[in-house]
Amino acid sequence: MMKSDEKELQYSSRRNFLKQSAALTAVAVIPSAIETAAHNRLDEKLAYQLEQVPVSLEINGVQKNLQVDVRTTLLDLLREELHLTGTKKGCDHGQCGACTVHVNGKRINSCLTLAVMQSGNKITTIEGLAHGDELHPMQKAFIKCDGFQCGYCTPGQIMSAVACVAEEKTANDEQIKEFMSGNLCRCGAYNGIVNAIKEVVK
Amino acid sequence: MNTFTFSKPTDIKTAQTAYKANSSSQFIAGGTNLLDLMKKEIASPSNLVDINQLALKDISTDARGISIGALALNSAVAEHPDVVKNYPLLSKALLAGASAQIRNMATISGNLLQRTRCPYFYDVTLPCNKRHPGTGCGAKDGLNRMSAIFGASENCVAVHPSDMCVALVALDAKLMVQLDGKETIIPFKDFHRLPGNTPDKDNNLVKGGLITKIFIPKNSFNTHFHYLKIRDRASYAFALVSVAVALEVEGGKIKAARIAAGGVAHKPWRLYDAEQFLMGKEATETVFMQAATIALKDAKPLAYNVFKIKLLNNGLQLALKNAMV
Amino acid sequence: MGFFNNDKLQAPPDDRVDGKQKVTGAALYAAEYKIDNLAYGVMVGSTIAKGTIQSIDVKQAKNAPGVIDILTHENTLIVANLKDEAKAKELELGLRIFHTNEVFSNGQPIAMVVADHLEQAQYAASLIKVTYIKAAHNTDFAGTSATEKNTGFKEDSKRGDADAWKNAPVKIEQEYTIPIEVHSPMEMHATIAMWDGNDKFTVYDKNHAVKDVQKTLAKAFGLKIENVNVRAEFIGGGFGSGLRVWPHTIAAIIAAKKLNRPVKVAITRPQMFTMVGYRPRSWQKIAIGAAADGSITGVLHEAMSNTSTYENFTEGITAISRILYDFKNLQTKYKTIALNVGTPIWMRAPGEATGAFALESAMDELAYALNMDPLELRLKNYAEKAIDTNLPWSSNFLKECYETASKKFGWEKRNAVPRSTKEGDWWVGHGMGVGTWTAWREGATARGKLDNKGNLLLQSATSDMGPGTATAMVAIAHSVLGVSKEKIKFELGNSALPNAPGQGGSETTASVGSAVNDVCEAIKKQLAAIAMESNDFKTANYDDLVFIDGKLLLKNNAAVKITYEALLQSKNLTEIDLTKSSSPGDETKKYAFNSFAVHFTEVHVHAYTGVVRVKRFVSCVDAGKIVSEKTAASQIKGAVVWGIGMALMEEQQVDDRYGRLIANDFAGYHIPVNADVPVIDVSFVNKPDPYLNPMGSKGLGEVGLIGSAAAIANAVFNATGKRIRQLPITPDKLL
Repeated sequence: MMKSDEKELQYSSRRNFLKQSAALTAVAVIPSAIETAAHNRLDEKLAYQLEQVPVSLEINGVQKNLQVDVRTTLLDLLREELHLTGTKKGCDHGQCGACTVHVNGKRINSCLTLAVMQSGNKITTIEGLAHGDELHPMQKAFIKCDGFQCGYCTPGQIMSAVACVAEEKTANDEQIKEFMSGNLCRCGAYNGIVNAIKEVVK
Repeated sequence: MNTFTFSKPTDIKTAQTAYKANSSSQFIAGGTNLLDLMKKEIASPSNLVDINQLALKDISTDARGISIGALALNSAVAEHPDVVKNYPLLSKALLAGASAQIRNMATISGNLLQRTRCPYFYDVTLPCNKRHPGTGCGAKDGLNRMSAIFGASENCVAVHPSDMCVALVALDAKLMVQLDGKETIIPFKDFHRLPGNTPDKDNNLVKGGLITKIFIPKNSFNTHFHYLKIRDRASYAFALVSVAVALEVEGGKIKAARIAAGGVAHKPWRLYDAEQFLMGKEATETVFMQAATIALKDAKPLAYNVFKIKLLNNGLQLALKNAMV
Repeated sequence: MGFFNNDKLQAPPDDRVDGKQKVTGAALYAAEYKIDNLAYGVMVGSTIAKGTIQSIDVKQAKNAPGVIDILTHENTLIVANLKDEAKAKELELGLRIFHTNEVFSNGQPIAMVVADHLEQAQYAASLIKVTYIKAAHNTDFAGTSATEKNTGFKEDSKRGDADAWKNAPVKIEQEYTIPIEVHSPMEMHATIAMWDGNDKFTVYDKNHAVKDVQKTLAKAFGLKIENVNVRAEFIGGGFGSGLRVWPHTIAAIIAAKKLNRPVKVAITRPQMFTMVGYRPRSWQKIAIGAAADGSITGVLHEAMSNTSTYENFTEGITAISRILYDFKNLQTKYKTIALNVGTPIWMRAPGEATGAFALESAMDELAYALNMDPLELRLKNYAEKAIDTNLPWSSNFLKECYETASKKFGWEKRNAVPRSTKEGDWWVGHGMGVGTWTAWREGATARGKLDNKGNLLLQSATSDMGPGTATAMVAIAHSVLGVSKEKIKFELGNSALPNAPGQGGSETTASVGSAVNDVCEAIKKQLAAIAMESNDFKTANYDDLVFIDGKLLLKNNAAVKITYEALLQSKNLTEIDLTKSSSPGDETKKYAFNSFAVHFTEVHVHAYTGVVRVKRFVSCVDAGKIVSEKTAASQIKGAVVWGIGMALMEEQQVDDRYGRLIANDFAGYHIPVNADVPVIDVSFVNKPDPYLNPMGSKGLGEVGLIGSAAAIANAVFNATGKRIRQLPITPDKLL
């Protein structure tokens, strides 16, 4: 763990990045421009750009070459940077499953992994499940069986359900329920969720 | 979460070099616990070494036993045909833990390195010697329903949360640890520590050391075994108490017995005396009851976890009984 | 013409109108709107339970990368109505965030970090250092006697001989407790606030009462009501937590103004336990006396629940004892206990869910004391009228619920002797519970716009936190006006739309549905008037007309017909645009309106581990005429899942030494997972209530929860012989 005084040093110097940066001396800004830039928090913005790390992901079939904050989780990258808000944040700590996506075809909790750790991987989110206007059979089944109410846990449930079928964990109700228990639903649509999966399997 | 440097080496040597570059380094694999801790400012590494590219995922069997790469995923190990056939106790324990999603992320070395789920550890505003040595133990005189009944100290009453480790300790697993090109073998039972005066240390992994594999010696526990997890809801919850039982039975008599419990101590808790008692005995419910009584003889409950004595006692009897079915 | 009188017009069970948006991820919830130049706010909570803030050191946090500002009471932009304590109280603004240095509870929001990016704000929030002057706090519910007077509910009541229970030949007297329970909707509360100039703002905010939130915010900031726009189109659950304005919303609005930039605040899951209310902890005592034949001769129902030290939150915990049975001699008492915790808020079936656990457990205890079938005991004490108000029921099909549910369940085959049925290592038990909930209706307004293409747009500022409001409204409009469902759109969740009550109390369909009914009826009248100008319909009376499939036709000669499009085009109209308000009338003085639910359940209790599994659950509900069967059944199933959570696992603990919640997240506070829930068999009596509203519907969001936890506790007793009066029934209590 870093000592707090070390941290303080690090951040107070970062705050004054603009005034100290060799990079900016190179672009020969005049002092008043520095003042203005500092006032407009351009130092922060520039520092932020320089601190980013490259991440390449294939998301729903589209290659994305991105620069991200190293701390950004895959979930926050999807929601806040790429505006793929179908993937939900229900707890941010791997305790609810609302953020379930597929990485290279396997279901994971996107809140518990850094975007940078997933570089090179193929991500499928709820937005990538349908083929154009043609819904995925699981999406249709969720509608038919009323496998949701408020809809907030639904994308995670559906991504998990698609994986549950692919993993062949659908031998009976008990198995489906166990392998879908990583996705909480406070509206209590569990009967509909199990029925939707059975509908797809049959 | 503070910011950090990040690298993704592809071999162990580079990984350990990257680790040494900074005094506040952490290896990250699945990340399912570490990232959780970083979000809560409980862990604050300034250098993160992502080891997912290391070639440590293989699972192989030979005459001596099974070797499981440290980075094999919990789901991959649980579903591996050799594990299911010959080490089913491990498979069952893995499948009792977490959720399908988390098992797809978490590695087996990460599983055994996960930290306690004690709520006092998780709330940075409360005292916790494990998180901040010297601040005291919030749980000891607090809401300690989930806390330890074995091996706790004045300084810490936390329990180790893993299911998998309960099976591994029962199966006499060994860990291979690599540092600076040298490999050390650590018996699993000696890996996790009791809290004593240093509850901040969960285990005996040397700083910068990398677990490379877990080895389980060949055994004959694939017929009479049971993993029992007792929890507050039917799935996706940590154990109140869990029990791993593996028996070898010949002509109705117990030839070998391995018993371990989870949710009861700072480490996966092997119950040697009960095992010893069972040797050569008939596998009857009366014998199981006697073994359970022996298993509990050193238990020391706290204000809110007295129930764990009875629960573990019953759990042991049930797991032994189910192992015979 | 009554609603659904014609079976052919009845809406078939149908899919949710917003289902496609929800299954594709297209539905946008509060935190998901793409707004340019958005800054991120992160709330910081107090770490003591009582005292004052001496100082807040923000230097280090402010120097952290990306931080724009840190709002505290020391540097905030002053909002006059929050500054003035008395005024804030009068306006019911709750905690005066950023305008007081007083700490009333642990985890109380006291500061907010605003940064360019979420990660930056989260990190900086961890660097804030607060110095407090601590005062002695009190969070000990069990160890504190009630200090606050009951207000707001007629909970202290007496009828007949209050002491009659004491003299009965058979009596029981028991205490029941329920811990703090937390709403825990899957979507965490969030607000995006953006100002338009100095006197106008918009919030995308998670709430299910856009008009109430608009009013409160306009008052708080001293703005004209029309200058505040509150948007909440999709809501990821709420269950009551979205019925008021919480501090983080005020904080977002203040920050957006101070920084002249849109600000988004999403609270964390642990903060969901401390910043947006919960169901209060409660203690109850019930005493019942009965004659040997089961006639109940007297009842006492006492209750206490906690509130905060800055607001007195009360709920109708004893209400159910005043109405569910024919209790002629009854006393009820209620008090609150003020503790250093946040203020509770109504949580699904507030009052009744709590009261019914005690009453329905006590009824079961009495049945065993009498050696009588619990169902028979309830029938014996059936209330022929609403004894509380002495009014006749508008409709009451409780007896049909008993009949249907008991038959489906096979109650007559039950083994009445506790701890006498075993399957393998599992004890088997059967139990029942009953619930009732007032069928409310409030005034509401709806706008209907039928265009010359035959499309119908409906609007009302109601909400949908999940039950399927728009689906029900489309079903109503379809049935009344005969426009096909695909051509109807219902807009909600925007304070700029016509007035509607917040979504609470199971009154949405009754209230808003009535307005939709009325505006559709008004459109029909206009269509009829146009039609009657033509030769085909000239001689027809209004009652001779049928409105179906987007056409108007003669009842006795279906060949005479004209489409709505043709009617509008004949008058060169682009649309018919009407707005109608609808309110309850005198019927509320003449009748008592209630929904009813009957639950039967089978539980298995493991003989070794004390683990309880709910194996079967059968519910039958009288909620009048069901407007949308599929969504209605889902609501009851969801309510039963809540009953399972309440009975078996939900408990938020407080460490009284620190006055702080412990394990306040989804790992520590358990709600049911898929594996906890059996097939839930739901049926409806489905007979219209003649007086409450044109549809004949009665509310059903709450009633499915009421009595369901007691049914499980009663089944656990039947299985094990152990009566658990302290929820939740975790394995340790059954060892």
